[in-house]
Amino acid sequence: MRSIFEIISRVVLHPSTAKDDESIQFLARCENFRLLLAANNKALKIMAEMSEEARSNDLFGMSHVRSQSLKVSANVRQMIERLCRMSPGKYDTLKDVFNVIVMDMEKALESSTGQCCGSLILSMDQISADSISETGSKMAMLGEIRSKLGIRVPEGFSITASAFLSFMENSGLDDEINRLIQIADSNDLNDLLVLEENIKHAIDLAAMPTELEDAIEKYCADLLAGVPDLRLAIRSSALGEDSGEASFAGQFISVLGVLPENIIDSYRAVVASMYSATAMTYLLNKGLREDELIMCVGCLEMIEAVAGGVIYTSDPIGKNKNALIISGVPGHPSSIVDGSALADTWVMDRTDRTLRDVFIADKEWQCLSSENGEIYRVKMCENRRSAPSIPYSAITELVEIALRIEKHFNCPQDIEWVKSSDGQIYILQCRPLSVTDSQRNVEQIPKKDEHESHVILRNCIPASHGFACGEVVMVETDDDMFNFPDGAVLLTYNAKPRLAVILPRAAALISEHGSATGHLANVAREFGIPAFIGVKGAVKNLSEARVVTVNTATGKIYKGCFEDQNPIREKKPVLPQNNPVTTALRNTLPFIVPLSLTVPDSSEFRPSNCTSLHDITRYCHEKAVAEMFRKNAMSAANAKRLKGERLLQYWLIDLGGGTSSSVDDKYVSLSDISSNTMKSLWIGMTKIPWDGPPPVQASGLISVISEAACNPALAPGMSNDLGDRNYFIVSRNYCNLQSRFGFHFCTVEGYAGDDPDENYAFFQFTGGGADKSRRMIRSWLIAGILEKQGFIVDVKEDSLFARIEGVAAEVVEQALAVAGYLLVHTRQIDMVMSDSNAYRNYQVKFEQGIEAVLSSYSSQNSEHGRSL
Amino acid sequence: MKKIRLLLVDDENDFLNAYVRRLVRRNVDVSVACSGRDAIEAIKAADFDVVVLDVMMPGMNGLETLRQIKDFSPALPVIILTGHAKSEALIEGMDCGAFDYLLKPIGTDDLYYKMLDAIRSRTLY
Repeated sequence: MRSIFEIISRVVLHPSTAKDDESIQFLARCENFRLLLAANNKALKIMAEMSEEARSNDLFGMSHVRSQSLKVSANVRQMIERLCRMSPGKYDTLKDVFNVIVMDMEKALESSTGQCCGSLILSMDQISADSISETGSKMAMLGEIRSKLGIRVPEGFSITASAFLSFMENSGLDDEINRLIQIADSNDLNDLLVLEENIKHAIDLAAMPTELEDAIEKYCADLLAGVPDLRLAIRSSALGEDSGEASFAGQFISVLGVLPENIIDSYRAVVASMYSATAMTYLLNKGLREDELIMCVGCLEMIEAVAGGVIYTSDPIGKNKNALIISGVPGHPSSIVDGSALADTWVMDRTDRTLRDVFIADKEWQCLSSENGEIYRVKMCENRRSAPSIPYSAITELVEIALRIEKHFNCPQDIEWVKSSDGQIYILQCRPLSVTDSQRNVEQIPKKDEHESHVILRNCIPASHGFACGEVVMVETDDDMFNFPDGAVLLTYNAKPRLAVILPRAAALISEHGSATGHLANVAREFGIPAFIGVKGAVKNLSEARVVTVNTATGKIYKGCFEDQNPIREKKPVLPQNNPVTTALRNTLPFIVPLSLTVPDSSEFRPSNCTSLHDITRYCHEKAVAEMFRKNAMSAANAKRLKGERLLQYWLIDLGGGTSSSVDDKYVSLSDISSNTMKSLWIGMTKIPWDGPPPVQASGLISVISEAACNPALAPGMSNDLGDRNYFIVSRNYCNLQSRFGFHFCTVEGYAGDDPDENYAFFQFTGGGADKSRRMIRSWLIAGILEKQGFIVDVKEDSLFARIEGVAAEVVEQALAVAGYLLVHTRQIDMVMSDSNAYRNYQVKFEQGIEAVLSSYSSQNSEHGRSL
Repeated sequence: MKKIRLLLVDDENDFLNAYVRRLVRRNVDVSVACSGRDAIEAIKAADFDVVVLDVMMPGMNGLETLRQIKDFSPALPVIILTGHAKSEALIEGMDCGAFDYLLKPIGTDDLYYKMLDAIRSRTLY
């Protein structure tokens, strides 16, 4: 299908009558109106997407947030442009209003990386824990233990956060990197690898600030004075690295054995490692902002190591109580850190500092640094392979140092150490030791299997851990969802994401199909609901079982309830994602989504009262329709009011061939309509009279009232404003209807000509007076009905977008009749959308109604033929 | 239908190559310029129906180029297509008379129909 407004433009472009100025002006107005509507639809769709993303657990980075907000802004700006062109000079203030909102939004999106104003370089003796915002945690901790505890650390200096920011700003790398991430626009691993290369390339080419180069040279000269054959380790020390929330363990690189003249190259490499595919994937999964990354880099003298290793001041998996664990290898300890070598291990008692256990590995290889500073592997000579890498005296020294460091920072530490050729111990790194507790849940589940005889299904693979029992309730339809009782075991064929709505009320989830990596499995884990997903024969075996017990530790489902085993499930509230990216997205929404401008006839409805981009779209749409259909417009372009037996609340513009010539230039009667698409739509709208608003039950009314409290237009006494307003633009095969009924906004559009490739029907609605959950349920109800009629439907929040395309003219006509029916009959049913009976009744009623419309439609169609 | 005469301005060769290939397949007559200056030269030398313009380019940037294009040929529609997702640039670009501000990456279809929109709006004013 072409863009949905493509067809109308063709009508506009080739008008048989467009000769004189008036006609051309009219056509320009139509064209602007068309572009405005297209931008309106896009803006609304992106707004709905953003609202959904803010509540979802989808993974996305800052570039996506920026891109979404910019796309909304661009479409809203386009609407303003089109409205201004429809009536020059009248709406220019909107641009200022827009600029203010958008710039405020930009401010809310800004990263908190701040300005560079500190020293570009800090030498080790200038660094302490207070330097963390300039040097990153790794270097700050080294400086701290050196200055406060007198512990030996390598000499060296830090290339600071200020240096990084200065490098980024002066070279324009910050914009360039954001741009590269934006145009890559992907979380796919292959694309991320290409992005990694592109960013690396950009960083390699970027000019280094001269003052930074000079400073590095100066500090190197100081170091060289003591050590003529100086080799350096260039280590990442990013801001936020090693912090409690994000370890970034192993994400960024260190370059070892660097000659002083190569520091800058290594610096670039370490900075670039921040944008590697793995680092970007890590960021994405942590929801961290890629635009707030700051790489501080440590340049440390390489120690000629005879041995080295790692110390944990506590056992990270909790097996050994009150223990401290030291591991070591001969030579340089790089192999121990990347996990490629077997290491000697000593388990020490923290209190009396005695040896509890020791394991001396058979060490086939060791790492040494060569003359030119490179690290290389050599085979150990036979007789040293099984010797301890360090003597016991060094072990006691390491225990003392480690416990002092732990005491100073007051938390368990992960410490990297080396022993130099002159027998000195150096600490290369210390950071908080992360102790995982992810297994805790599983361990609490009873694994003993006393109920083997009751097993119905076994070998089920858990998607989310837990133990629960409850009544089995099969959920297939939306109705079932309404009727789902609290605390039941949810049984279903498909692990549809939509089921997430009732998941928090379920004791457990069992699905015949689907996978543990799907959305629903994710949600189950977040909610702490035990789940088996992808259980063959689940429906057949369980639907008659009445009550079952689910145990993910045994992978079995049992008949009956073994409550005695059931540890009381902690009812953990669902934590919304509060990571930096989602927070940034949420911070932009107030500038985009809230709609405060609702009553077009009120004096409050003016540009200066627009406080969000949504307000501007409302304003532009309302005014554009008014401009399009305003009185006193040129005669060729005059909107005519539709007339049946009496005057109707419908106005119409004919672009050509949509109505038969009428003598009346104010009114057009129904019998004059010759547009096939409008006729179909009209049949759908009028065949079955609307019953009026549904009777509202008390709770629905309360919901409406509470919504009205935030929404002045819904307050009592304002009901006169909730009138019908409907505008048709038609041609022979085309029809566009903009309809507003109270708080329901709806667009129906269709083209039905001879070429199926060009044909389409489009139906979109949004809004309503009830609270959001009711409006969402209404959207689902209508979506279900439309899907049965062959529409492709997309529901975002309470907005529905449905289309059908590339089909014969008759199919479009029928689709428009269906849309017309739903447009009229679903008004205000959001008010009653919490009642499952009402939902079911409406579902039946609408399906019968559509059937009646379509049957009458086809008989009518055959009577009149398509000649009209 | 008459071929669309497009001037595509971007400093990135990969981008130019990819889009030239895709648009030529749609019967668009594509000329390219790798800098703002080249773009100005090009529009002085030949007639175009529409310009698609990048923002971040070395030398004269896209917004300055836009201004100069509009000085020389106010009616020539210019679509900004960039990876630069910044509101300042959007505001400045639209205030300088850009037809629209689009973000990379963009589908060829979307770009093509946007060009048609831009050309049509020119013929109507």
